[in-house]
Amino acid sequence: MSGFIRKRLIDDNAALVQLLGLCPLLAVSNSVVNALGLAIATVFTLTLTNALVSIIRPIISKEIRISLFVLIIASVVTALEMFMNAYFHELYLILGIFIPLIVTNCIIMARAESFASKNSVYLSIKDGFFTGLGFALVLVIIGAIREIVGNGSLFNQAQLLFGDFGGLLHWQIFADYQGFLIAILPPGAFFVLALLVALKNKFHNK
Amino acid sequence: MNKFIKIPLVLALVTFFTSGLLMFSEYSTRDKIAEQKKLKLLKSLKQLIPDNLHDNDLIEDSQTINEPLRLGHRKPQTLYIGKLNGKETVMAIPVSSHKGYSGDIDLIVGVKKNGEITHVNILEQHETPGLGDLIEANKSDWIEQFPNNSLNKTEEKNWQVKRDGGSFDQITGATITPRAVVTAIKKALLYHEDISKNTENKTTLENNSETPK
Repeated sequence: MSGFIRKRLIDDNAALVQLLGLCPLLAVSNSVVNALGLAIATVFTLTLTNALVSIIRPIISKEIRISLFVLIIASVVTALEMFMNAYFHELYLILGIFIPLIVTNCIIMARAESFASKNSVYLSIKDGFFTGLGFALVLVIIGAIREIVGNGSLFNQAQLLFGDFGGLLHWQIFADYQGFLIAILPPGAFFVLALLVALKNKFHNK
Repeated sequence: MNKFIKIPLVLALVTFFTSGLLMFSEYSTRDKIAEQKKLKLLKSLKQLIPDNLHDNDLIEDSQTINEPLRLGHRKPQTLYIGKLNGKETVMAIPVSSHKGYSGDIDLIVGVKKNGEITHVNILEQHETPGLGDLIEANKSDWIEQFPNNSLNKTEEKNWQVKRDGGSFDQITGATITPRAVVTAIKKALLYHEDISKNTENKTTLENNSETPK
């Protein structure tokens, strides 16, 4: 793995190291399917906004750069919201407010400001994709841990994401599992995130 | 180029471009979104108003009602009416409860002409996961005790959870939520009884007025 990718996936992971974008990370990670839905949406948004910001880079002037970023990010997210509403309607209903709230995910603004506005389109797309992927990985891992501990299942309601085929993915790991409520509730998200951050710091020295 | 010309120009250009993006997305998803909403609605009505009990277009024959006192509505809601050969067979009555543990619980109750419940759908709830949310059909079978019940089969005063002396099961660890739902269903049944009576009275009145004086 090249240093560029490794840095974005692990070393400087947006969620585990920079601790950015915690609001969606904590709120939507109560099952793998929810987490995966938001993860895909975030990767897509981040790649596209980075590309667009990089394209208009020659005409950005310092005074109005933030307004331009906001304009681009907000439009991309709104467009994405409409497409999800049209083609993943059920998932859209579940993720609800967290799709428009991708706008406020500070990872996106941070990458536009610190990377895309200074680098070529190709590099910006790569940066957006892998930074997003790093965030998505953590989101899905937290989702998986919370769903297994809280519900004893994996890929519950996957048909929302993958159509009828997804229903087959549902895997009840422990039959008759009584559930462990706190993992599904918001505090569980903090515990699992803290655990991941601690594990990363322990086993991974830069 | 002069800064005072360049800045507005750039802003205008980017705004123009992003508006175009939004127009394109709106245009290409509009029909699909409307279709999805309709599908979702019809799917949720399927159990309330079974196919064998209606032959009309449910969406066309719906009515808007607003009953803050009798049904707890906070804004106008839609009442769906199933008709077979032009005769009303089932009514899907939206009702809200403000007595939930966390925010309003919105449900819709399908009631047959004879007052029997076809099905109860929970539309929206924010109850505690694992406890109060067991009212949802995909989380437990608690809600299954209502279909086929009616005010004739269970007296009005018994439309309560067992703990309050009524005849419906509660959920262990959650009393408030089932209490709210049972009361809401009762309200829907009483409303149905009320308007059925009214329409009967109305028809008799109309018949009377037709007789020449």
